[in-house]
Amino acid sequence: MAEPLLLVDSISAGYLGRNVLHEISLQVEEGSLVAIIGPNGHGKTTLLRAVSGLLGLHGGRIALAGADIHRRRPDEIVAAGIIHVPQGDMLFPDMTVLENLQMGAYLPAAAARMNQRLDEVFALLPKLAERRSQVASTLSGGERRMVGIGRGLMAGGRLLMLDEPSLGLAPILIDQIYEVILRLRAAGRTIVLVEENVARVADKADRIHLLDNGRFVWEGAGSELMSRPEILATYLGG
Amino acid sequence: MSDVLIQIVASGLTVGAMYAVSTIGLSLVYGSLGMLNMAHGAVLTFGGYIAYYIITTLGLSPLVGAPAAVLVGAALGLAIYVVAALPLLRTRAFETSVFIATIGIGAVLENLMLKLFGAYPLPQPLAAPGGIIVGRVHIPAQNILILVVSLALMALVAVLLQRTRIGRAVRATAQNREAAQLMGVRVGHVYALVLAMSGALAAVSGIMVSSLTTLSPTMGADPMLKAFIVCVVAGLGNIYGAVVSALLLGLLEAIAQYVVGVRFGFATLLILVIVVLIWRPYGLFGRRQVVRL
Amino acid sequence: MSAASRRDLVVGLLLLAVAVAIPFVLTTRYIVTQATLFFIWAIVVTQWNLVLGVGGIFSLAQMALFACGAYAAALLGYYLQVPLWLGIPLAGLVTVLVSMLVGLACLRLRGPYVALLTLAIAQVIYIYIINDTDCFTNPPSGCMPLFGGVRGITKFGELGFRDLFGTKFYVANYYLTLFILLLATLFSIVIIRGPMGLAFQALRDNPGYALSRGISRFKYQLWLFALSAFFTGLAGAVYAANFRAVGPDVFSITLLLFLLSMIVVGGLGTIWGPLLGAAALMLVDEGMKEFSDYRNIGLGVILAAFVILLPQGLVGALAALWRRRRSRA
Repeated sequence: MAEPLLLVDSISAGYLGRNVLHEISLQVEEGSLVAIIGPNGHGKTTLLRAVSGLLGLHGGRIALAGADIHRRRPDEIVAAGIIHVPQGDMLFPDMTVLENLQMGAYLPAAAARMNQRLDEVFALLPKLAERRSQVASTLSGGERRMVGIGRGLMAGGRLLMLDEPSLGLAPILIDQIYEVILRLRAAGRTIVLVEENVARVADKADRIHLLDNGRFVWEGAGSELMSRPEILATYLGG
Repeated sequence: MSDVLIQIVASGLTVGAMYAVSTIGLSLVYGSLGMLNMAHGAVLTFGGYIAYYIITTLGLSPLVGAPAAVLVGAALGLAIYVVAALPLLRTRAFETSVFIATIGIGAVLENLMLKLFGAYPLPQPLAAPGGIIVGRVHIPAQNILILVVSLALMALVAVLLQRTRIGRAVRATAQNREAAQLMGVRVGHVYALVLAMSGALAAVSGIMVSSLTTLSPTMGADPMLKAFIVCVVAGLGNIYGAVVSALLLGLLEAIAQYVVGVRFGFATLLILVIVVLIWRPYGLFGRRQVVRL
Repeated sequence: MSAASRRDLVVGLLLLAVAVAIPFVLTTRYIVTQATLFFIWAIVVTQWNLVLGVGGIFSLAQMALFACGAYAAALLGYYLQVPLWLGIPLAGLVTVLVSMLVGLACLRLRGPYVALLTLAIAQVIYIYIINDTDCFTNPPSGCMPLFGGVRGITKFGELGFRDLFGTKFYVANYYLTLFILLLATLFSIVIIRGPMGLAFQALRDNPGYALSRGISRFKYQLWLFALSAFFTGLAGAVYAANFRAVGPDVFSITLLLFLLSMIVVGGLGTIWGPLLGAAALMLVDEGMKEFSDYRNIGLGVILAAFVILLPQGLVGALAALWRRRRSRA
């Protein structure tokens, strides 16, 4: 079996000395779409932050294509190819859409392909092209989400992590976002998705991991999950 | 009457432009690091002294003196980053600690200058002679030089920030540090760059201030305080607002000094500032930097 | 009573016993007056520590409040012939009023803004005092500006200890100052260990929770600022009474550096830190008299070094040592 692209090995992490994640493990195969679900506040975002280096580990290791990354700086991890599109977008509020996208391609390897990437992103998300000179703080929620994702795509990268891409959006916008995600997946990208809304990912993800109280309590294919109503009820409130 | 007006505008704009130059550095440092650099005044003064030393003591040309002062200012900024900011960045009380640490560093620098150059005020050699006549008012060439240099520097900084990759990285770090990290920005380098820039700008500001008055080891305290006040009025972290506020404050100070005398000029200014802040705790152009509880 | 409070009581009583005994053991006038000065600085520093370390208020106005107390006592005595016995507590109250004005203006703002504004306000007061050349009165000794100008104010009365105790009057000064220090320290302990201390801790660690419990940062900070100003003002007044002169030198940056170093060296936010720091710095200052040239450089280095390398101060270092000893035993 091929080595997984991302290996999370028994990691513990948390804030102010306390652990939020308790020795959890995860493998992501290249080209797959993996979803992490679970109740809010149970560690999903913490997990992504640990992978992208914003949070240090209290134990365990994380490897990308075999190479340890858990002790490296966030900017080094980005350079290695892990792109984290954070929850709540975290756009640069006083910069325009275009400048936000340009920041996405900050690293030299991506900057060299700046125009090409911009074309690709604008093709995938045409609304952004229209609003390229608009300042980010004046955008609507849906537009912000698009910019956040577009910004993440500018970097290229081997692994794309999206934290709650449907958060706070109207259903029609969520449809659009997921359409984009599926197109990326079809193009061969490896994607890790944190999602609170199980129904959205159940039929789309290759593998689903259920994170409860900082521990993985279930993993399997989406179809399996929908046929296990007891799990849905216990952890996800039906 | 119009003579008085010209006088006020001329000196007000000059002083305002000088404040603007050093304020940009302070605002950048606070915007990206969240750090109040209390050693800023000392670095400012040091710049003036280096120019003096190189031009007067060593007898070299001003073309060597001025850049040397700027380089020393940048080096001091970098040193402050390494000695104070870097070790404290991960701690919980970063703002308080780095504030106190820079007070200490400022004191050290100031007294170093006192030991090296003495307390007696020295003339700044980097001054242009002569002047022009506008209406019936004599405007010193030095004021015009200061205004021109300040505007040039501000334009340079603006270009750097708006049109270069590293400038974008600086702005991104100031607007959202974690997001910048997720873009691959090495924020440690950004901080070092920002502090170095701030030091360089302070040095230039020091040369300008001392050219209008004299060079003395404690001369930096007043301009630093005023630069901070400008930052506060504009809203800490807002650079363009800071420039506008600096010019405004320069003019206001000139008016206040004319109306109530030099002695009360600063006091009047301060009362105005306090009133502004009570009305707009975010500063005139600031945003969500302040919590009103 | 909790273990911590018991420990505080023991330490406090020990220190008090030592302090009371000193004038009988070390009888030289110089030592006793230096100790009195130490008490004065200790009062200011314990209060500043509350404001800065517990309340989280970036105030640089402490010295200005100290000066306020000193000047208030002097002015009351000089112009209105108010006897110092009354003048000292009145000065404390005046300082409270001034601090409330300053607090109302500054405390709604975030940390850095407070620092700058308090510094600016202190600076403005200083500039006003030294630049005021208009003669408010004209006594035989010369032109006297309202606040004394550069020369300062003298001849504002006495505590009367010379009449009561003759040549040993300075011992009376000593005990008076010690008494005020005792009150100030008790106040400090009550604040830190009491509900206000807890409230400030909540504000620091979990602002959202604090807000939901109705803890208003502004109100708590204003109270702390005002109450601590009372003792600071008292210290200033006693300083004036002790030296029988008050001048703008109380605004000097050197003095501010000196006192700030005491807090940092001792341990910001702790109960005994300020006292330890004050003692340490006064001893070092005494020992380094020969190198007075380098005093400010030394202070700056101490300040920066402690804040960067030993942020918990001496108290923190000692506590860590103590913990290590106990875990080994």
